[in-house]
Amino acid sequence: MNALRRDASVALAVARKDAIAELRGRHATVSTLFFAGIVLLLFGFALGPDADRLAAAAPGLLWLAVVFAGILAVSRLHLLETDDGALEHLALYPVSRQAIYAGKAIGGFAVMLLIAVLVLVAVGILFAVDVLGAWPALLATAVLGAAGVAAVGTFYAGITVRLRAREVMLPLLMLPVLAPLLLGAVKATAAALAGDPFGELGAWLQLLVAFDVIMIVAGAATYGYLLEDG
Amino acid sequence: MPQTTIYVSPRSLGAPDRRPPAVATAELARLFAGSPALAGVTMTIQGGRAIALLGPNGAGKTTLLRIVSTAIRPSYGSVEVDGLHLNRDAAAIRERVAYLSHATGLYDDLSARENLAFAATMIGTPDAASRVARALADVGLEARAEDRVGTFSAGMRKRLALGRILLGSPSLVLLDEPYAALDVDGMTLVDDLLAAWREVGVTVLVASHAVGRLEPLLDGRVVLERGLVVDVHGEGVKHVPPAPPAAVRPAVAGAAR
Repeated sequence: MNALRRDASVALAVARKDAIAELRGRHATVSTLFFAGIVLLLFGFALGPDADRLAAAAPGLLWLAVVFAGILAVSRLHLLETDDGALEHLALYPVSRQAIYAGKAIGGFAVMLLIAVLVLVAVGILFAVDVLGAWPALLATAVLGAAGVAAVGTFYAGITVRLRAREVMLPLLMLPVLAPLLLGAVKATAAALAGDPFGELGAWLQLLVAFDVIMIVAGAATYGYLLEDG
Repeated sequence: MPQTTIYVSPRSLGAPDRRPPAVATAELARLFAGSPALAGVTMTIQGGRAIALLGPNGAGKTTLLRIVSTAIRPSYGSVEVDGLHLNRDAAAIRERVAYLSHATGLYDDLSARENLAFAATMIGTPDAASRVARALADVGLEARAEDRVGTFSAGMRKRLALGRILLGSPSLVLLDEPYAALDVDGMTLVDDLLAAWREVGVTVLVASHAVGRLEPLLDGRVVLERGLVVDVHGEGVKHVPPAPPAAVRPAVAGAAR
C-alpha cells in the first residue's frame, strides 16, 4: 500500500511538473491545436463544399486530426526531458519506472483530451455536425481515444526522444500501432453521431478499452528499459 | 553563508573499516562505438572516504562516475556499491547515490523551488517544503527561489544542482567537475560541502582538474589515463592492476617455473 501511494505521488509529481512546464512554455498545446485546426481546414477544402459529404467524413477527419496532433503533442512533452540532461536525472531517481511512465502518460492524456474535445467542437462548427446531441458517447470516445494515443505516444516518445530524427521516427512507429484505435474511435464516433442505429457503439467502445488496457500495461512494463542509456 | 545542513543516512554511520567498500569495481570496461572509455578498472573505495578522480580529458573519469551512478551500464566487468551489485540491485543503489553531472538535469520552465520540490518528491524527502527551503538557503539561491531556472547562469544552475543533493541522505556522493562554472563563493560552497560530507561519513568521489584545491579536502586520489588506473594514493582506496593479456600469461607462467 505504501509502495502504491509512493508510486501515485511520483506519477502525480511528474504529471504536475509537465503541466507547469506546459502552461508556462506552451510547448505542446498551442502548436498542436493550430496544427489540428489546419488539418481539419485542409481536409475540408479537399472534400469540397458538399455538406452531406463533409458530415459523413467528419468522424474520420476528427480522429485523423486528433491522432496527427497527438503525435506532435507527445513528442513536444518529451522534449522537456531534453533540458540539460533531465532525462538522465529522471532515470536516476529511486522510483519505479512504471510511476514515471504513468506520470508522463497522465500529462499526455490531459493534453490529448483537451485537443480531442476542442477538435470535436471545431468539427461540429466547421462541418455542421450535431455534437451536442450525442455528447456523452462522444465524450466517452474522446476519453478512451485520448488515453490510447497518450499510452502509445508516451512509450514511443520515450524511444525516440534521444534520436536526432525523432520527428520522422515517431509517426513512423506510432501510426501503424494506432490503426486499431483510429478504427474504433472513428466507428464509435460515427455510431454516436448517427444515434447508434445498429447498436454497435458499445462494441467499438469495448475495442477502445481493450486497446487502452493493452497499451498501458505494455508501456508501463517496458518504459523502464527506454530510460536506460545503454 | 549559513552552515550547510547534511542529512545523514544510517548507512553512512559507523567506522569506515567495518563497512563494505562503498565502491568496488572488477575489470570494469565501457566501450563507446567500439572505443574503450574504461579499459579494465579494478579498485575498491572504502566507505566514508573522500577520493579524487584525476586524469586528463578522456581518461574515463566521467564514464566511471556515470556507471557507478547507474546512468549507464558497463560493457564488461562488475560494479558493487555498498555491497550491492549494479546489474541486480540498480534500484537499491539509486537510493544511496547522489550524482552531480556535467548536465544539471534541471527544468528550464520550472522555478528553482519547483525544481527542488519535484526532486524532493522523487527522492522521497520527508518534510519536503522545509528541506527545500533549507537547501535553497544553503546554496545561496533563496532570493532567486521563485525565478525560472531558464534565466539562471551556469554557476547558479550548478548551485541548484548541489542543493538537490542536499535534499537526500545519500551514502555515496559522486561529483563531476563540481567547481566548473562556479564563482569564488560557489567554490567555497563546494569545499564546505566536501568537508561536511567527509565529517559525517558520506563517501565522496570527485572527478576534477582542481588538484591543488582538492588535495587538503580529500583522503586519497585515483589517477586515470586512457581508461586505466595509473596511480592511486592515500587512505581508503586500493587498486589491482589489470591482468596481463591472455597471450602473455603462458610466457609469464613459464618464466616463473
